[in-house]
Amino acid sequence: MLDAGRHSNINLLAYSEVEEVEGEVGSFKVKVRKKARYVNEDLCTGCGACVEKCPSTVEDEFNIGLGERKAIYKYFPQGIPSTHCIDAENCRQLGQGKKCGICAKVCQAGAVDYEQQDQLVDLEVGAIVLATGYDVFDPSVIPEYGYGRIDNVVTAMEFERLLSASGPTHGHLDRPSELALRAEIAVLDKDLKKATRQIEKLEEKHGKKTSKFLKEFKAGKAGEDGDFERWATLAEKAADTEKNLAPLKKREAAAQTARKLAFIQCVGSRDFRFNRFCSSYCCMHSVKEAMIAHEHDNETTSSIFCMDLRAVGRGFEEYKLRGGKTANILYVRGRVAEITEDKAHNPIVWYESTTSRRVEHETFDMVVLATACVPSAATPKLAELLGLELEENGFFKTDPLAPLDTTRAGIFVCGCAQGPMDIPESVAQASSAAARAAEVVSMAGEVAVGGS
Amino acid sequence: MKRRSPRLRIAASPCHSFKWGMKLAKDIRIGVFVCDCGSNIAGYLDCPSIAEYAETLPNVVFVKENLYTCSEAGINEIKDAIKDENLNRVVVASCSPRTHEPLFRESCAEAGLNPYLFEMVNIRDQCSWVHMQEREEGNEKAKDLIRMGVAKATLLQPQEPIQSEMDPKSLVIGGGISGMTSALALANRGYQVYLIEKTKDLGGLLRNLSKLAPSNIDAKELIAKQVEAVKNHKNIQLFTSSTIKEIQGYIGHYDVTVSTNGTEEKFGVGVIIIATGARVFKPEGFFNYDGKRVITQFELEALFKSKKFKSKNVVMIQCVGARDEERKYCSRICCLTAIKNGIAIKEQNPEAKVHILYRDIQAYGTENEALYQRSKQLGVRYIKYDQEKPPEVLDNTVKVYHHLLGRELELEQDLVVLSTPLIAGEDNEELSKLLRVTLDENKFFLESHVKLKPLDFATDGVYLCGNAHYPATIREAISQALGAASRASIPLAKGTMTVEPIVSVLADEEACRGCGLCVALCPYGALEIAQTEKGRKVRVIPVACKGCGICAATCYVHALSINSYTDQQVEEQIRAFLSG
Amino acid sequence: MCTGRVDPTMIAEAFINDADGVMVVGCHFGDCHYITGNVQGQIKVGLAERVLTYVGLSPKRVSFDQCSSAEGERFVKLVTDFNQGVRELGPLGNGDGLPAPELKEKLSIAKTILAKEKLRWVVGKFTVFVTEGNKYGEVFTDHEMWRTLDTIVMDEVATHQIMRELGQEAVAVKDLAARLKLPAPDVLRYVLALQRRELVDLDGVEGNSPRYKAVGPTAQVA
Repeated sequence: MLDAGRHSNINLLAYSEVEEVEGEVGSFKVKVRKKARYVNEDLCTGCGACVEKCPSTVEDEFNIGLGERKAIYKYFPQGIPSTHCIDAENCRQLGQGKKCGICAKVCQAGAVDYEQQDQLVDLEVGAIVLATGYDVFDPSVIPEYGYGRIDNVVTAMEFERLLSASGPTHGHLDRPSELALRAEIAVLDKDLKKATRQIEKLEEKHGKKTSKFLKEFKAGKAGEDGDFERWATLAEKAADTEKNLAPLKKREAAAQTARKLAFIQCVGSRDFRFNRFCSSYCCMHSVKEAMIAHEHDNETTSSIFCMDLRAVGRGFEEYKLRGGKTANILYVRGRVAEITEDKAHNPIVWYESTTSRRVEHETFDMVVLATACVPSAATPKLAELLGLELEENGFFKTDPLAPLDTTRAGIFVCGCAQGPMDIPESVAQASSAAARAAEVVSMAGEVAVGGS
Repeated sequence: MKRRSPRLRIAASPCHSFKWGMKLAKDIRIGVFVCDCGSNIAGYLDCPSIAEYAETLPNVVFVKENLYTCSEAGINEIKDAIKDENLNRVVVASCSPRTHEPLFRESCAEAGLNPYLFEMVNIRDQCSWVHMQEREEGNEKAKDLIRMGVAKATLLQPQEPIQSEMDPKSLVIGGGISGMTSALALANRGYQVYLIEKTKDLGGLLRNLSKLAPSNIDAKELIAKQVEAVKNHKNIQLFTSSTIKEIQGYIGHYDVTVSTNGTEEKFGVGVIIIATGARVFKPEGFFNYDGKRVITQFELEALFKSKKFKSKNVVMIQCVGARDEERKYCSRICCLTAIKNGIAIKEQNPEAKVHILYRDIQAYGTENEALYQRSKQLGVRYIKYDQEKPPEVLDNTVKVYHHLLGRELELEQDLVVLSTPLIAGEDNEELSKLLRVTLDENKFFLESHVKLKPLDFATDGVYLCGNAHYPATIREAISQALGAASRASIPLAKGTMTVEPIVSVLADEEACRGCGLCVALCPYGALEIAQTEKGRKVRVIPVACKGCGICAATCYVHALSINSYTDQQVEEQIRAFLSG
Repeated sequence: MCTGRVDPTMIAEAFINDADGVMVVGCHFGDCHYITGNVQGQIKVGLAERVLTYVGLSPKRVSFDQCSSAEGERFVKLVTDFNQGVRELGPLGNGDGLPAPELKEKLSIAKTILAKEKLRWVVGKFTVFVTEGNKYGEVFTDHEMWRTLDTIVMDEVATHQIMRELGQEAVAVKDLAARLKLPAPDVLRYVLALQRRELVDLDGVEGNSPRYKAVGPTAQVA
């Protein structure tokens, strides 16, 4: 990433979208909208002083809502270009019409520019490579898996963030139910502190303890004072909050990290209701996540529920077997029918075991859904803009014998934009697409369409 | 480790009683620039005190604190000081060399100072950022780092970038679909390509196949089209029935000797692509394999091609000789071959029965899964078998334990087809030695990085694609072949290789005994033993070297060294650190 | 610079210069920026640890760890734990096998040993021997390799010390054994081996015991 950002032959237009493409192979004219980021990339040193001081906090989409970020932010720490961006909608100054300007004040480089506008950039290029990637299937449309309803059912991507040392839990497998619990406790704690502070002020002002005051107040002997009604309400509220907090804190104290994991394969893939195709990488992804979870805490056990465990790359089969032998991974053949939840927020997985030929169920600490790789939402729009055909699943159409060529000469596609694939294959394809692009550019005039 | 070790006595000692550097080196004039980075550094560290400290260090003649050393003003201050103060070493204490070292080096060069007389110290990431909460310690650590930087700077030597001309020609080894595709891709870019094929015909494994999945086109047609393109291309020189006799050299300069039926030819190339493919495993001793009633998928293809296929009850068995103790790996493509051939049988004769006995169906991706589903629609039946209870091939039946039914089935058959894995080419070991590239445990060629560099070798200038790397479908092989061509074209397009001079050097030729331990350990094939007037000596190939330093840390006579990371420089830094 | 660049003698050098601990942190295996450098790094640091421990340093003072650039938390934990361990020991000489001044002397012997040819060869061939095996196809376990290294270290240290003693004066094996705190039969074996290599020679007999002294060009160096 850093290499791409620094290469003198790469003109990086981040936070930009293609609006128009005209012309043909060898001489495309492309109009790109460079969106206003309200931060001057050239001046910004990426120091992050603005982030520290920004008063608006919003859900962090990089950590898939499991953490928070500020309105002025960097999508993720190692992002390139190493600069910031203001999310105008959530910014006090830009989106909410309030007076703020804190980030501009703290920025020593003078990079914050609230007046920045979208820019239209015209490019002339000989070939175009699409590397627009994919979206992760939203499993909430499968009601029987309970995603969104059962806290401890997460997607593989969410699980990845939980496992990450730089993620919201620093790599500990805290369960989302407990994270929610902690958030709830934090809110109540804050309320309680606020009430207590106010009560303390009143105690000081009137020179008596709340307990004494309440007794008098209830007996109607407290006398008359503008404060008393409020004092009584506050005291009641504080007592209530404290009462509510106690069981939550008890639960929190007893909480343990997730150690018994289930991975459900083919969530939204190989499923005629959603996507018929196989998403290719999820089997190995689940094995990897189970391995890492085990490395992190070697008490962890994982069950991977799958139809076929597809381990087809170099060393994959060996890795899978090693997982079974050394990382407490059990491969269960069978499609999961339903996930329910017990009182302690433990998900229960119901499935038909093809080995015992019976419907069985098992309780886990956390369930990870290996969600499908689906065409990114903007694919149809982009296809229309570029005049490209899509295949039956909605990915960019290519030919098996000319695997990088789209249906329009001079436009190539690589990676998951043409279908699900793993990292090495994507990287290899990226080079291949570059080869095809270079080929048409250097052969401009005598265009080679289709495979070489 | 954290600096404030229990030996606190040292920290309290006055900073001018240095043990290291001992004396002031003659004629060494070091300038130190301490960057505030706005408030990024100065907000947490006491930059003026750090600058003041730097002034007390030996050989330091000029110190300057900058608001932003990387700004135009800061850069100008460096340049001016080099001229005005006659500096011959520059140390900048600021941020990460990953982002800013090139800029500072360039600036030194612009002011007439050799850019390798520049040393960078990272007091932002390593001090102000990570020690925001312990400012005093962060401050002390910054001083330590600067002291170490200055100690090293004192010993720095000027270096010149290493340049090497590229021979713009290329060699592709293997004339299968991968090799032909790579050769064409390079030739179309205007590069001269030598394409070497061991057998007398181009086409590789494809020659034995009937139809290709999922495109359903005839393999013969595809080969014919590619062969014609290869043969007619003015930039491709084809050698069939030829083998590589010898390869010597390194990226940009390989001398290749090819032998064609005993006649040798020599030529030079700059880059090499390995596209040598793989072989089909012959399952002698498995499931009564006889090549007639019990055959391989490969042999089934031949029956299709010759139109001799007439069987009505076909049973296919997957993972024969794969995913077992001897060959642990999954060969990736055999499930697809079985599915494809199952469809072919059903299309030819819908009445024919096809049973595929499998362990996992590896129909990954969109097209393959679609093919799998289509085969089911056509009536191909799939039965999962357990490795522990493998099927049994009898005279006219195959016995298999059916998982879901929980009992054994006996399937009628008049033909059994075994799906066997692709295994590594027989010449792989020899070729890997010739080119100093690595093989995996199954003798397939091993790429440099499993995720990020799937088509490169650790050795620069050599690339790989297709079955030589690992079993691949046609789509994947073509894609990899184009990719390998793309990777190979990068140095070709540059014309000249320019390499950072931070590489291994034979600093003490006398000492070298030519033992070759370093050669064996070099991950990049950047060292070789050469016969010289003084006997066997190691020779460094600077353009291939990445400067990792394994050789220098291994050489017991300290003959090898790494520019800008010499033993002396590193040990001086260690001493400087510990004398604080 | 790669962990593979860390010459084991550099680690000894650090202790000689008053370091209380040395920690080497590199990439994870399989993720090395220099492909296999960290494997070499681990073995070299491991060797340094063994040699230094053999001469009396506490093994807690040397550590090899792995951490990626995205694992800040892990890095902090590694450093904190290591620092904690070293702090518990205190300055060099505490918690070690020998008091500081004697230890320092031994450390410089260790540094010399760490540059010896035989050790370097075994370290260099370590990975090959445990994966592919030697020329005869014999594959060794990590444990066997380390045992081999340990034996070489013992031999090298003893030989080094014997050469140093015999370089100063002629000594009888029994006395030599007492000085080096080694069993006399072992010392005799070393001395005879050195004699075969013509590094040591008989210098007369004292009572019943022959006395030996160092000879040849290496006598001074060692």
